[in-house]
Amino acid sequence: MKKNSMWSLNFTTAALVLIPAAIGINYLGKLFAGLLKLPLWLDSIGTVLASMLAGPIIGAIAGIVNNIIYGFTADPISFVYAITSAVIGLIVGIMAYKGWIANVGKALVLGLVVGLIAATVSTPLNIMFWGGQTGNVWGDALFAMMMAQDMPLWFASFADSIVVDVPDKMATVLISFLIFKGLPKNLTHLYDNRSEIERL
Amino acid sequence: MTLYVDKKSVIHDIDPLSKLLFVFISIAITYILPTHLFVISVLAFTFIVLLVGKVFTYIFPVIGVSMLLIISIVIVQGFFHPDRATLLFEIGPLPVYKEGFAFAFLLTLRIINMVCAFGVLILTTKPDHLVDSLIYKGMSPKIGYVFLSVLQIIPQMMAMTSKITDAQRSRGMEKEGKLKTRIKSFIPLLGPVVLNSLNDTRERSIALEIRGFNAKGTKSFLNESFHYKYGLILKLILVILLFAAIVWRIVL
Repeated sequence: MKKNSMWSLNFTTAALVLIPAAIGINYLGKLFAGLLKLPLWLDSIGTVLASMLAGPIIGAIAGIVNNIIYGFTADPISFVYAITSAVIGLIVGIMAYKGWIANVGKALVLGLVVGLIAATVSTPLNIMFWGGQTGNVWGDALFAMMMAQDMPLWFASFADSIVVDVPDKMATVLISFLIFKGLPKNLTHLYDNRSEIERL
Repeated sequence: MTLYVDKKSVIHDIDPLSKLLFVFISIAITYILPTHLFVISVLAFTFIVLLVGKVFTYIFPVIGVSMLLIISIVIVQGFFHPDRATLLFEIGPLPVYKEGFAFAFLLTLRIINMVCAFGVLILTTKPDHLVDSLIYKGMSPKIGYVFLSVLQIIPQMMAMTSKITDAQRSRGMEKEGKLKTRIKSFIPLLGPVVLNSLNDTRERSIALEIRGFNAKGTKSFLNESFHYKYGLILKLILVILLFAAIVWRIVL
């Protein structure tokens, strides 16, 4: 039997159908975070879940499609961050495959790494498109403070992204991890291309 | 779910791919040529396109979504731009600098132009027409399915959400109160929706496979109307404009 790696481009129907569901979950995460007035975005739970379930490629596609759809239906600005979303999907998929979702502690490390990388990817975009800001009140306040101290633009912008992205992604990965662990086995096997147990 | 406005106009009749190209070139040239006057004229042109498309008033709520970013840019750049030198005016004890303000103005113009250019595409194009055109040009029909099904799934999930919220409240979940209470209610709200929608994917994929989703061979189109007027000419003009902008930037 052919050995399937995590980069397998074998798009099963189940994996493709997972993408719209993931985007719906992203939407709801953002909606609930807004409804409950939580100080986080929580708008990538679906992308992270899709990566954990079906690997980095499906995760990355879910991330890109998510931002395109969001751009089409609510906020054109989010097109810009499609790259960030794709990278989030990739990182979670790779690290989950390597065993970084074995327990809560590791999941938190995964969240930290995703947050740092997301901030790193977003910083050049923020500088290029809007002079370094993120549009998040707390992050931009820090940015303003650092600019007033004449710190380098990239550094202030990076700090702006970090204070927003790291807590957000750690919470996102933790929530996704809790949901993932709670999923019934017959559902997780559906997307897992390593096992041949249940395929449609 | 979509922002599409169903009207009859010249802009509605232009092919989706030309509009897509318009979006990218309209945004790109405002970054290639960073002068206020040029960006204002690009923005003015985009406004005219929106007016011709009879969707001008629909763009304001979309701009509104980006308002927080714009306000933040004006405040932060106005006060703290690195090259601050010339004093423009003072608000109380706080000085606003001309350099920062000019930069913030340029960024704001670009953002509004970006939103409006996308508005031209989003407000005057049906998503399924755009996806159909892309598939016609060679995009994978499977990816096309993914895009279009999102637009159907999200409203379904929203409906499910309100049911689950009611159910959890009747079990005594608190939605308001301290931060801790609100964090606690996040999982009982999201968990069941996620489980439900993931379970649905199983049935959906069975349903799709039964209907030949993975069938080999060329796919045909339900609505074979790819006869848009002036598609090639418009794309040509847009590409020429892009090159003109690049040449202008290099020469000047």
